[in-house]
Amino acid sequence: MRIIVCAKHVADSTEIRYDETSAQPVLNNVPTKISDYDRNALEAAVTIKEQHADCKVEVLMVGGAAAQKTLKEAVAMGADLGYLVEGGWEDPFNPLISARVLTRAIEEMGVPDMVFCGAYSEDGYSGVTGAAIAELLGLPYLGPVTAIDLTEEGLVGRLPQPGVAWSVGAQFPCVLGIDSAMNVPRLPTVLQTMKVKGDRLRSLSLADVGLVAANLHADLPGLRLEHFMSGAVQRKGVRLEGSPQEMVSELMARLAEEGVLA
Amino acid sequence: MTSRILVSGGGADAAVQAARVALPLAKEIGAAVEAVLVGSAAPDADSQLVSELSRLTDKIHFFRVPESTPLTGAPLADALERAAADGAGLLVLGDHHFSREAAARVALRLGGPCSSMCEAITATGDGDIRIERSVYGGVALGAFKLEGSPAVCVLAPGVSAEVEGADAAADVVVHDLEPTAAAQALVKTGEEVLPRTVDLAGAKLVVSVGRGFVKPEDIAMAEELATLLNGELGCSRPIAEDFKWLPQERLVGLTGTSVAPDLYLALGISGQVQHLAGIKGAKVVAAVNNDPKCPMTRNADYVLVADLYKVLPALLDELRSRGNGG
Repeated sequence: MRIIVCAKHVADSTEIRYDETSAQPVLNNVPTKISDYDRNALEAAVTIKEQHADCKVEVLMVGGAAAQKTLKEAVAMGADLGYLVEGGWEDPFNPLISARVLTRAIEEMGVPDMVFCGAYSEDGYSGVTGAAIAELLGLPYLGPVTAIDLTEEGLVGRLPQPGVAWSVGAQFPCVLGIDSAMNVPRLPTVLQTMKVKGDRLRSLSLADVGLVAANLHADLPGLRLEHFMSGAVQRKGVRLEGSPQEMVSELMARLAEEGVLA
Repeated sequence: MTSRILVSGGGADAAVQAARVALPLAKEIGAAVEAVLVGSAAPDADSQLVSELSRLTDKIHFFRVPESTPLTGAPLADALERAAADGAGLLVLGDHHFSREAAARVALRLGGPCSSMCEAITATGDGDIRIERSVYGGVALGAFKLEGSPAVCVLAPGVSAEVEGADAAADVVVHDLEPTAAAQALVKTGEEVLPRTVDLAGAKLVVSVGRGFVKPEDIAMAEELATLLNGELGCSRPIAEDFKWLPQERLVGLTGTSVAPDLYLALGISGQVQHLAGIKGAKVVAAVNNDPKCPMTRNADYVLVADLYKVLPALLDELRSRGNGG
């Protein structure tokens, strides 16, 4: 059994701030990491590997030199191999381009029994890439799943929706979007990350996966970014002072004035 | 941009959301709005869904698939592809997991651009579609022009529009649909009805707990507060996912439920960006946190920089003495 986990190299969204003057999110010096939801996908794959001796887990990431450290951390969670596609990451909010690059890489690596993606990415939160990979590979997609039970020739995934959870079976090969509620991802230690040697890491250029950087955007319909705006809601920011009792009285008075207490 | 907008969604509510958002745009550009639904049995014409959709749209296309087909995003994509074959400049899908799968598949088949988490959809002067969506977990909004046609847009949770539907009812046209292989490959093996004990999205008042609570037992205080205030109890991601002190259905934020109450009371919540993105619709936000520098205290209307273990009992005393009994 083979699982490929697609993991996104992202800027840590909790460290990004929006600069009103330049009307840009500030990404300089923001630490990068594995997108949170992809860590759930990796945890799900590594858990299966621990229970099935014949299972191999490969991590697939797209990114430049800075992504090598992130890939190493991902492999250190317990994967056998890590693949880095060096190109095609310039448009983090266009899931169809990401899916095209990832799909070509998966075809180059050999289509596995299961492709796992985080149900969402931390930066774009599209929730589209996994399904787009399934479409491009001509495979069924299940997601977001909160549990997986392996069967003889496939799996049954749990698909929660408002008010109901379905159990849906799929045969291999298939693509899964892993929900963050499925597990709590392990944190690799610094030592585990250091122990990931070069022979477990592979690089692929865009040319290796049959893509030409210049055509990537021309071939696929684009999402052209025009400008950014602040995502924050303007709040009053009134600091209440005094003892806890005084603060509580003041708060109740203010909320009554606002008319928001039933 | 052709003069036809298709609206749909992974669930009934999602299709109605899409129709509401698409209608003002359709009026502006003079386009027809047609709904696309999928199921194994034609919908009851008297159902609330059909009656609401039929007031908001010009036509309802119902695609009938074999009963064995699980109604995930795959058959929905097949239906949208068929409906779009008669020409469509824009596909709008309401917020639902299956909408995202359907959007991905149909955009790739039709060669159009695709974006989810759309908070606004407008037409540019030259006939293209422009959307606004959150990026970097909600730190910023990005305005994007969708290049190519048809544009496929999935709405963000909670996005809506004030619209007045027509009195006349739209025709329902039933089509038979043979799903593609990706849809036929799935088998539904079970269904569990989830007890819906919480209605966070519709709550008028939410008391929400975060990592400031040191023991799970202490959440009982917040629960009592929520009861006294006739509100619902919510929580931040660590409480639901890391500690599992409260079920997932109480999780507020991008990962969980987006809320829009009159009052959101954040107790011991640091306010990570995904959490703040989920409370954007709140009218008033009050925050209790002992860290004056945490994001929550910078994104609230009323801020109590204090120990929640002192404030919460005082708040409960105050309400009990007022005789708030729910």
